[in-house]
Amino acid sequence: MSGIRFENVSKRFGGVTAVDDLSLEIGSGEFVSILGPSGCGKTTLLRMLAGLERPTGGTISIGDRVVNELAPAQRNIAMVFQTYALYPHMTVAGNIEYPLRKRRVAKDERVRRVREAAAVLELEALLDRKPRELSGGQQQRVALGRALVRDPAVFLLDEPLSNLDAKLRTHMRAELIRLHRRIGRTMVYVTHDQLEAMTMSQRIAVLRDGRLQQFAPPRDIYARPGNDFVAGFIGTPSMNFLDGRLKGTGSGRTFRSGDLSLPLGMLPLTDEMPEPDRRVRLGIRPEHIHFDRQGEPARVNLVEPTGHETILVFDYRGNELVARMDGDIAIEAGDTVKLAFRAEKMRLFAAADGRRLNDDSTA
Amino acid sequence: MPTIRAASASLRLRSLDARYGLLGALLIAPTVLVFCTVIVYPLVSAIYLGLFSIYTPTMEGEWVGLDNYRRLLASGEFWRSLANNLIWTAGTLTLQIVFGILVALMLHRNLVFRALARSLVLFPYFLSTVVAVLVWRWLFNDLYGVLNHLLLWAGIVDLPVDWLGSMPNAMISLIFVGAWKYFPFVVIAVLARLQAIPDELYEAASIDGAGAWARFTDVTLPQLRDVLIVVVLLRTIWDFKEFDLIYLLTGGGPIIGTQTLPLMVYKEAFALNQMGGASATAVLMMLIMLLFMSLYLSRARD
Repeated sequence: MSGIRFENVSKRFGGVTAVDDLSLEIGSGEFVSILGPSGCGKTTLLRMLAGLERPTGGTISIGDRVVNELAPAQRNIAMVFQTYALYPHMTVAGNIEYPLRKRRVAKDERVRRVREAAAVLELEALLDRKPRELSGGQQQRVALGRALVRDPAVFLLDEPLSNLDAKLRTHMRAELIRLHRRIGRTMVYVTHDQLEAMTMSQRIAVLRDGRLQQFAPPRDIYARPGNDFVAGFIGTPSMNFLDGRLKGTGSGRTFRSGDLSLPLGMLPLTDEMPEPDRRVRLGIRPEHIHFDRQGEPARVNLVEPTGHETILVFDYRGNELVARMDGDIAIEAGDTVKLAFRAEKMRLFAAADGRRLNDDSTA
Repeated sequence: MPTIRAASASLRLRSLDARYGLLGALLIAPTVLVFCTVIVYPLVSAIYLGLFSIYTPTMEGEWVGLDNYRRLLASGEFWRSLANNLIWTAGTLTLQIVFGILVALMLHRNLVFRALARSLVLFPYFLSTVVAVLVWRWLFNDLYGVLNHLLLWAGIVDLPVDWLGSMPNAMISLIFVGAWKYFPFVVIAVLARLQAIPDELYEAASIDGAGAWARFTDVTLPQLRDVLIVVVLLRTIWDFKEFDLIYLLTGGGPIIGTQTLPLMVYKEAFALNQMGGASATAVLMMLIMLLFMSLYLSRARD
């Protein structure tokens, strides 16, 4: 009904390219997050979809309509801003009613729909208040109400939770998921917070420097990152990377870095190996490192207990290695232990362009 | 022992408090003194003088009670001056606000020479009133004035217009020059507020379906409300009391066609040599202003 399609969309501001030849297809009714570090172009992408910025190149479609030339009001979208952008002189009811009034909806109908939206968001008791008399979470719900009341085909959410405190953020995350299930509309959610993206989305589009890095469900983004940027960006603490070379072939393949040598025989690789220069990056997540008597020696540099788990920072043959261990582990800085990696969880990336070399079939 | 020490400490503290109190009084004394000299004393003496019939050059006179007030309220001149005062204030203030907002909106947009234009807009406000009025009197001059010359040349009028010597021309000219002189104040205040309105409000409104005019009335104007309340308050007070611009441009004429209360006070005091009557007029003027301001502020607070 109302999917979204970006085809080779670019946006340049003077000499700066914010979005670079980006293509993306979002299904109707899907909850998609656009995730990336600040300045990656994610907000620009959303603003182009909303009609607040005009793309320099490419086409954007909502449903079957190309919307490049349409004004924001004609796109059948609603947007929730990071700062909520509530009209300060209007009451909560006035704010929610505003888009209906501008669309000349009849008075009775307006009252009915405002009441409906207020019921969904539990705002009934606040309808006569002004925005400045509300808490952050309540303002957030009013902003959602103003979007909801129009029943738009697409919801655009620009970091809507980043101005809330941690506890409220967790609560609103759940509320948003519930809302999405209930109304079943397409939602595009821009965030720099991977936790929000991972927990809420059906698919995540990871952006970096205006380019799409990967577009996949959260599980795949985590387990099968398309390149070393996605691998390093998703996950806290980040994935560890070791730079080295790939030696040998077939089941005799090993990863060499200095005097470190790790057998990679059981790791299926894609065929497109850069033969002449076999420089690679080996990636291993902190939770896939364990103690092993046959492993490589490593010195503990730092112990960070968080209660339910302990983050350990090792000196692993000159490389810094972060591992996630049990909360009740008895270990101290200065200790030397032997470490091994879970072989099937290792990820191999080409050093030249960062793309993943593991075969896609490995989980 | 500890009790004694605590007690002596609290004693020391108290004397320290007292000394701080003294220092505070000392520090605000100059302000209080100046305030009394320039505000309280003139105010009290105006009220006092208004109860006498005084010959200005000698400042001698006799107690007449409320006779000055009775005479004023019964005279046509007082009411005419008050009416003039209201027409002048309302007229020039309206123009100032309208022009001020329009120019501020223009300057808020990204004009090429925005920085230059912003400084130029302030020019009338910086210019001394005497200089500005002399220039305007030349522009308005019925025989040599540029204004009449251009109007005649363009064929808009057949005869030179008497801008300052006939009614209602004199009042219109006055209101216009007042607006020209003081609209920059509105521009600066409104522009500062405009720049503080978050862009997201406009973006949210355009997504919500508001056109350019609706964005102005639903976003810009409500945001300007608070600053406009203050600007209107200040400008009303200042315009109501305006003396030099009116005195220099028309002198209150023709006859008393543009005479406002401040000019009447001046005339009573120094042309008719009746300091008592002048003081009474000034007191009435103050009361009228107080009435307007309290009404205005109570309305604005809602």
